[in-house]
Amino acid sequence: MRTIVLCLILLLSATNIFAAVGCDLNDPDRDVKRLFPGSTGYKTKYVSIDKKGGNELFKEIEERLGDKFNGIYEKIDVPYTIYEISKGTVTIGYIHGINQKGVYGGIQVFLALDLKSVIKNFYIQKLTAKYASKFRDSSFGGQFINLSLKEFYSYDVSSGTFNIPDSMVIINNPDPQSVKDFKAVLRAVKKNLILMDVFIYSNKHLPLFKKGN
Amino acid sequence: MLKIYQVAYKNLLRKKTRTVLTIIGISLSTWVLVSLLGFNKGYERALNKDIDNMGFNLLVTAKGCPYEAATLMLKGGTGLRYMEENILRELTKYKEIEKTTPMLMQAVFDPNKGESGGITSYLGIDPETFPAMKSYLKFSTGTWFNNPDAYEVVMGYEAAELEQRELGDMILIPEKNVELKVTGILKRTGTQDDGTIFVPIRVLQKTFGMTGRLTGIGIKATKKADMDKLEEQLYNLPDVQVVSLAQVKETIISLIGTAKIMVFSIAIIAILIAMIGVINTILMSVFERFQEIGILKSIGAMPADIFKLVMFETTILCFAGGILGNLMALGLSKLTDLLIRRILPYTPTGELILIDGRLVLAGILVVVVVGLLSGLYPAWKAASIRPIEAIKSEGV
Repeated sequence: MRTIVLCLILLLSATNIFAAVGCDLNDPDRDVKRLFPGSTGYKTKYVSIDKKGGNELFKEIEERLGDKFNGIYEKIDVPYTIYEISKGTVTIGYIHGINQKGVYGGIQVFLALDLKSVIKNFYIQKLTAKYASKFRDSSFGGQFINLSLKEFYSYDVSSGTFNIPDSMVIINNPDPQSVKDFKAVLRAVKKNLILMDVFIYSNKHLPLFKKGN
Repeated sequence: MLKIYQVAYKNLLRKKTRTVLTIIGISLSTWVLVSLLGFNKGYERALNKDIDNMGFNLLVTAKGCPYEAATLMLKGGTGLRYMEENILRELTKYKEIEKTTPMLMQAVFDPNKGESGGITSYLGIDPETFPAMKSYLKFSTGTWFNNPDAYEVVMGYEAAELEQRELGDMILIPEKNVELKVTGILKRTGTQDDGTIFVPIRVLQKTFGMTGRLTGIGIKATKKADMDKLEEQLYNLPDVQVVSLAQVKETIISLIGTAKIMVFSIAIIAILIAMIGVINTILMSVFERFQEIGILKSIGAMPADIFKLVMFETTILCFAGGILGNLMALGLSKLTDLLIRRILPYTPTGELILIDGRLVLAGILVVVVVGLLSGLYPAWKAASIRPIEAIKSEGV
């Protein structure tokens, strides 16, 4: 009977495998070391647009992104998890992930940023697609390394192109059939960088955005 | 002129730190006691709700454990145990059975979920019988499948939330590369259904090459059915096992019972410690006021007055501790819920701690009664002090 009960317990709970809203690393102890080699620890911070600046900030972020927020993962009160990475007692960078709607499901895009807000590592934690492995391959993620919001301001979310004529920034789509997911990933990166600029880097790239406009 | 309870109150204020510490001790014991009694009520209610929400009272599965956890983790759908669909026909012969619904659970390993992959599971259901049996499922948006062969899914609230799916969106079954359209998103139920992805059973069977196979059949018996007898009869079917949900409930409760006994023992120890604390505090207070009590008696106070005075002090301490303990139990019930969920191997989905007015009153009553019993000895000691001896003494 005990076995049957355990079976039933599994039946009751087997499909209950989804977590609540939020974009956290699945295994922070392991993932932080992998995304930030040489790090010795991390602290977790929770921030939201609501608490940081309310509606005004929400609108400003949408303007900086060049797109409206929609869906449950883009509400004003969504809690964002920021991992502050340290080496000994010194902070060496941050890891931050966001959710983005993809063709077949939610995409979770994490960026490891140094203190100057430059991308040092790129990680897609979750992507359901026929070609998902191509997006999770290091050859795709490697294209984002050493880029920052400075480059991504020129990325137009709606057209999916970088709007600088002589731009050196070219992110190649790993699969020609996956234009929608490719655009979704790039939107996620831009949004991630803007949020980090607001939450951590004291809007250091905001003047650049205003100048561009 | 001061009333006896005012004197008691003032006496307690003379040693504020000791009084506060004693109240804290009593309140901690009350907190443990009320939380545990609340757990006793809440767990059973949540378990009942979970089982009722399954919509059926018997479950027929393939022999062995078809949902064995390690199998799901390691092999996805390939390691599950199955039974033949024709058992459904057999079940129609039983007049005690009102309704049946076939189910097929399948799981796939998705290598692109997390660093080392993860499992996604799907529950194949019969669109004709399942919704009728689970009538409590309501839609946030959309509806059930358009037809039994439609490549469509209905998603539980949390499943849709995680996958950011809206009506008309697509989902993909990894490995199989089969696309399914979201035709409905359910409202939150607080049950396992919130995280479930429902697929028409025929579509799931076809996708996974499991035509004619099932992992379970939900059975709703008629109201007059003798469940034990029906269960016995069903065991005559080849290669199946029958799980009665009432029995499961009893077994889970008895499994949890062991943990409950342990925790209740802790509560009793906590109460005993609180009792000793009360005895110690009051006795100390009596010894400190040895001369004072002697003087009171010499000016006319009767032993019964002194006894009442000490008992009043005890009552005040216990009452204050009881109130504070109940407030703690109410305020920290979410935290207690969380702790219990971490400790127990299985917990139902609803609230585990149920504290109502009756329980609060019972908690205060128990603490006051236990406190009064603890106060008897110090009160008797104080009442039996001889005035001359007390006045002559140099104090304690």
